[in-house]
Amino acid sequence: MGRPYGLLRAGFPYLKCLSMRRTTNFPVDIAIGKEGRLYILCRSDNTAMIRKYTVEDEDLGTMGRYGQGEGQFTWPVTIIADSEENIYVSDEYLHRIVAFNSEGEHIGTWGEHGTDPGQLNGPAGIAFDSDENLYVVDSLSHRVQKFTKDGKFLLGWGSYGDGEGEFNMPWGVAVDELGDVYVVDWRNDRVQKFDAEGKFLFAFGKSGSGNGEFNRPAGIDVDLHGDVYVADRGNDRIQLFNAEGRYVQKFLGDATLSKVSQAYMMTNASPNRMRDMADLEPQKYLRQPKSVAVSDDGLMFVPDFGSYRVQVYQNMAVPLTEQEFSPPRRSVTLHQE
Amino acid sequence: MSQNDVALMAHLMRRAGFGTTRTELEAYVEKGYENVVDDLVHPERGTPIDEDILERYFGSEGGYVGIWIYRMLNSRCPLQEKMALFWHHVFATGLGKNQHILASTNQIDMFRRVGMGKMRDILLELSKDPAMIFWLDNNENRKGEPNENYGRELLELFSLGVGNYTEDDIKNCALAFTGWTFGQPIPLYPHGYYAPPFLFVEEEHDDREKTFLGHTGNFNGDDIINIIVEQPACARFISRHLYNFFVADEPQVPSWNVTPPQDPDAIETLADAFMASDGHISHVLGVLFNADFFKEARFKKVKSPTELVTGILKLVGTGQGPQPGMAQYGSATQLMGQKLLDPPTVEGWHTGKEWIDGGLLTARVNFAVREVSDASKPGIQDIIARLKDNGHPLSPEAFVESCLEFAGPLVVGDTTRQYLTEFAEANGEIDFRDDTTAAENQALLVSMLQLIVASREYQLG
Repeated sequence: MGRPYGLLRAGFPYLKCLSMRRTTNFPVDIAIGKEGRLYILCRSDNTAMIRKYTVEDEDLGTMGRYGQGEGQFTWPVTIIADSEENIYVSDEYLHRIVAFNSEGEHIGTWGEHGTDPGQLNGPAGIAFDSDENLYVVDSLSHRVQKFTKDGKFLLGWGSYGDGEGEFNMPWGVAVDELGDVYVVDWRNDRVQKFDAEGKFLFAFGKSGSGNGEFNRPAGIDVDLHGDVYVADRGNDRIQLFNAEGRYVQKFLGDATLSKVSQAYMMTNASPNRMRDMADLEPQKYLRQPKSVAVSDDGLMFVPDFGSYRVQVYQNMAVPLTEQEFSPPRRSVTLHQE
Repeated sequence: MSQNDVALMAHLMRRAGFGTTRTELEAYVEKGYENVVDDLVHPERGTPIDEDILERYFGSEGGYVGIWIYRMLNSRCPLQEKMALFWHHVFATGLGKNQHILASTNQIDMFRRVGMGKMRDILLELSKDPAMIFWLDNNENRKGEPNENYGRELLELFSLGVGNYTEDDIKNCALAFTGWTFGQPIPLYPHGYYAPPFLFVEEEHDDREKTFLGHTGNFNGDDIINIIVEQPACARFISRHLYNFFVADEPQVPSWNVTPPQDPDAIETLADAFMASDGHISHVLGVLFNADFFKEARFKKVKSPTELVTGILKLVGTGQGPQPGMAQYGSATQLMGQKLLDPPTVEGWHTGKEWIDGGLLTARVNFAVREVSDASKPGIQDIIARLKDNGHPLSPEAFVESCLEFAGPLVVGDTTRQYLTEFAEANGEIDFRDDTTAAENQALLVSMLQLIVASREYQLG
C-alpha cells in the first residue's frame, strides 16, 4: 500500500486502557502480534517478563523471564514481532537479542559484547525493515547497525557527537514502509532520519517542553501513512509528527480504568473510598512513557510506564487523494475557501 | 603525599561520604584537606549525579533503596547524600506504617534538597512532609480534637530534647500545627502511587492565642519553628546529633537528658557555630570537619550497616555505573539491622555498639568477605596493579602493610596484625610482577582482604 497523498486528520481519540498494577508492572514496550495479540515487555529491578495480552484486555500469560541464562533477559528495552509472530527482545545489559516464538519458546539468542562492527554495546531500539532485516540501536557505541534476523552483520553507521549522523546514547528506532530509518537521539533530544543505508536525510526536535521539543525521548514508531510517533519520556507524553518531521499533535493521556481494573475496584471498598476523597485528574495522564507502537488498523498503544497500564488511542485519519488535497502552500493564509 | 595526609583524608571521606576508591582518595589528598572540606559543604559546586542515567536505567520506585545506594556510591557531592541519611536517622519515618513508597522516597529527596540549609527551612519542610505528617498522626490533629504526637516529637526528638520544654509547650505546639495535613492521594491500585500534596486546612486550624517557650501569640506552625531554632537548646541538640553521626558514638538519644556529652567542648563549638550562622547546617559541618576533635576521632565509631556496605562497594569498585541488582545492597543493610526507609521507631536506629550483636556481626562479615572474594572486580584489580607497580617482591610484613593501606588505610591492633602476618608468612615472599604466579598471588590477595574486612577493626569507621 502506497503512502497517501494527504490525510484528513479526523481525530485521534482515546479508546481504552489495558490492565493494571501487578498485571503489567512497569511496561517498557509493546509488540503487536496477529489477531489482536499483544506482547507487553515489563521491566523493574530484578524483574522482567513479557505479558501476553489481547486488545480485549485478556491475560494470556507470561513469556520469558529475568536472568542471564538462555532465553532470559536482564535489562530488556525493546520488543518487536516479525511476520510469523516470532518475538525479538533487545537486552542492553547482556548485549544481545533474544527471540521467542509466539508460544514463548526460546528460539534463538545472538549478540557479542564489544565495539567492533557487528558487536553490541548496550542494544536498545530494534526494528525490522520490510525484508525483516533488523536495525539495532547500539546505544553505548552511539551507532546504528543492521543485521539479518539471525544476527549476521550487514552494515552500520554513526559515532558519538551532536552533528548530522552522530548520536549521544540513541534509544529507539523505526523503519517506515519506504525503508527509511528514524533514530531517537536520546541525549541530543532529537530524531534523525536516514535512508536504508544510513545516509542522513534530516532531523527534527530540540531540548525543551514545547510542541515539537523533547526531554530525553525514548521509543518511536511510524504508521502506514508515514506519521511518526515519539515517546517523549521526560515530558510525559507522546508526540506525533508527519513524515516531514512537522509537529502535528501531542498525547498527554486520557486513561480510564481498564476492564481488569474495574473488576478489581468492585471488590475493594477501601480504595474506592480513597479515590472518592482524591483529586482524580492526575490519573489520566501518562507517566514516563518509554515507547509507543502503532498497528496497521490505526491503534496507538502507549505503555504507560509509571502507571502500569497501556493506553490505547484510535487514529481516525482518512487518506486523501490528489483531488481531495490541494498542493502544498509556501505561506500561511487567512483566506477562507 | 604523606601517609598521615592519606589516612586523614580517608577518615574524612568515610565520615563525610561513603568511602572512596584509592584513585579518588589520592585526588582528594592532592587537593588538600581544607579545600576538600570547603567543597563538601558547598554541594552546589559539584557536578550533580546524572539523573537522566538514573531514569533511563533504573527508573522504578520499587528499587529506590538500591538507587539511593547507587547515589551514595556515585554522587560527586557525597556529603549531601550523607546528610540525607543523617536526617533519615534523626527524623526517622517508617515505611512500615505509611506503606506509601513514593511519600517515603519524596521525604528522602527533600532531605537531599534542603538538608544542608538552615534548620528553620528543614523543620518547615519536615512539618509539611506528608510521610512525616502521617507517621506522627498530624493528619488527625484538628481544632477541638488535637493530636499531640507530632508536636511532642518535634520538641523531644527533632529539635530540643527532653528537659527543654514543658507539657504546656507540647500542647500549644500541637495546636499550632492543627490543620497541617495532606491531600488524599489516589490509591495505589490499580495504577500506582501518586504523591500526596501538603494541605493546610484553615477550618481545622486552631487560631487562638498560644504560649510557647515563653512567647505568646496567635501562632501557626511556622512561628513555632522560628521560636525553636532560636533556642540554644536546639543548637546543642542538633550539634550532639551531628557529633554522634560524624565524630564519635554517643549514648542513645533517650538518655541525653541524663547523660552529658562525652566532649562538651566539641558540642559547645558546634552549637556556637549553629547560633552564629542562624542555624545553617553547612556552616556547622564546616566547623566540625575542620576541628581537631574530628580529626582525632579516627576509628571511634562503629560503621552503620549503610556505611559498611557502601565502604566495601567502594573498595571493590561495584556500582560505579548503572547495573542491575542494586536492590540487593539494600537487602544487605536490612540484614545487618538497617532497613533504609523503614527505621524501627521514631527514635531511629540505635547506633554505636548497638549495631553489632552475634547475628548482625555475622551478616556484616559475611557480606564483606563475599564482596572482596571476586578478584575480577575493578577495585581488586586496581590493588593488584598497585602491588605490581611496587617494583619489587613483597615480604610478608610488607604485603600485610600494603593490603591494610589499600583497604583503608586501616589501623589494626597487634593481635590482628600478628594473625595477618602469620597468614602471609605461610606463603613467603610474594611478587606481583611474576605473571607465572598471578593466579596464586591473586588468591592470596583475596584471602588477605577477606581476613582484613572480617577483622574487628574493620567494623570501625
